[in-house]
Amino acid sequence: MSVVLKTPSTFQQYKTLLRKDLEQEFRTKEMITSMGIYALLVLVVFGAALGQTTQALDLLQVSGGLLWTLIVFTSLLGLNRSFNHEKEQGCLEGILLVPLDRSVIFLAKATSNILFLLAVEVITVPLFYFFFLTAVTPGESFWLLVLPLLVGTIGMAGIGTLLSTITVNTRGKDVMLAVLFVPIIFPLLFACASATTAIIVGAEGAMDVFYPALLLAAGYDVIMLLLSWVLYDFVISA
Amino acid sequence: MANAKKSHALPEGGQWPDAIAFWAVLAGAVLTTIGFLMAFLYAGPVNGASVDGMPEMIGGQMVSSKLLLSQKIFYFHMPVAIVSFGALAFAGYYSVRFLMTKNQRYDTCAKVAMEISLIFVVCTMITGDLWTRFEWGVWWTWDPRLTTYLILMLIIIAYFVLRGFIDEPERRSIYSAVVSIIALVDVPICLMITRMIPSSIHPVVLREGGMTGDMGMTVGVCMIGMILLGFGMYRLRFRQVRLAQRVQALKDELEEN
Repeated sequence: MSVVLKTPSTFQQYKTLLRKDLEQEFRTKEMITSMGIYALLVLVVFGAALGQTTQALDLLQVSGGLLWTLIVFTSLLGLNRSFNHEKEQGCLEGILLVPLDRSVIFLAKATSNILFLLAVEVITVPLFYFFFLTAVTPGESFWLLVLPLLVGTIGMAGIGTLLSTITVNTRGKDVMLAVLFVPIIFPLLFACASATTAIIVGAEGAMDVFYPALLLAAGYDVIMLLLSWVLYDFVISA
Repeated sequence: MANAKKSHALPEGGQWPDAIAFWAVLAGAVLTTIGFLMAFLYAGPVNGASVDGMPEMIGGQMVSSKLLLSQKIFYFHMPVAIVSFGALAFAGYYSVRFLMTKNQRYDTCAKVAMEISLIFVVCTMITGDLWTRFEWGVWWTWDPRLTTYLILMLIIIAYFVLRGFIDEPERRSIYSAVVSIIALVDVPICLMITRMIPSSIHPVVLREGGMTGDMGMTVGVCMIGMILLGFGMYRLRFRQVRLAQRVQALKDELEEN
């Protein structure tokens, strides 16, 4: 009888790390509830802010921007929390003791952040539609909204994972994450908001804005994810 | 333990560029002053128009004398903007070097280059905003280059806020190196994205061939002056920071022995 020791493959390590995050979430439901309720509250604030203007204002023109405001604030909240429970109980030290490629940690963490954000969006985007877009008629190809949402979420979660790893070790981490996160994701936000507004308004030639904007956002994603992936090793080891 | 390592390699007390740093600042100050005078006395207004209080016809558009004069901002705006981005590029380069070697000297280089970049970015914002006010008639517009510079300024400020928020020196230098590399990559993307989506109202000067010889000369003098100023300020500040580090290292060494 012999004991077979096998080094787990990188993909297995990735799966284990991702499962740890998801299991923790399924047990506590901390992220989804806090992000979901926060998003709902932001919607309520929008309602108050637009209370007087709804009749006169063309809501279609601003709703794309409002939707992205909602997503940025919600993802800030989620990203802030995502490394907090790694610090408690010394979980991060434990992970770092395992002989694995550090960028696997980045990929697993970014994936779990993407999944949480997407889960929150699945709830909040219909709510957003219900509260603000049922009174007006959005463009024909409204369903294409899924694409900028997906591209934007991937980019935000990717760069946000790197930044939240940085800020979790600083004083005043909540403020610090916002100070770094908002200017750095600005290009992505700009492109995604343009694409979203173009299809929500659905005017003639909307696709001429939509596809270039989407392509640029995707380009940002690729560059920034690669950069974060390369730099993550330095950050997590510091 | 860290101190024992440092005591063998004290931060150096000045290098050869320090000897010319002061003169570089002086020459830069003189050249930018000459450039300022040239902008008003030597370089003619756009397309040979004259400033006589009467509106001029340029390219099928009526241009008032106020606009012809406010065009002079350009001679300072463009060099300052180029130097600010150059300083950021140097900060990015030193950050990459730092991550490669973990040599604390590169961290100091990157930090000082960022400081210089911040000064020039703020100058760019001020001159650019004056331009915006008089040429386009508004204080602020979300034009691609204005937006990019605002984002650049915010990232540089975030860089210094981050430095202030971390206590451990090694962690601080690694994190700030990472952030400055991200900033260097992010800013061109920002310009590209904001530029390719909506229509731009920024004048594309060189591509249209809108500069005459005397204007090019003035821009050149200002450009050289600004580069010298940036370089000289960088060296002076670097020497100051580096000497302070040297004093600290010497103190630590004395305490140990």
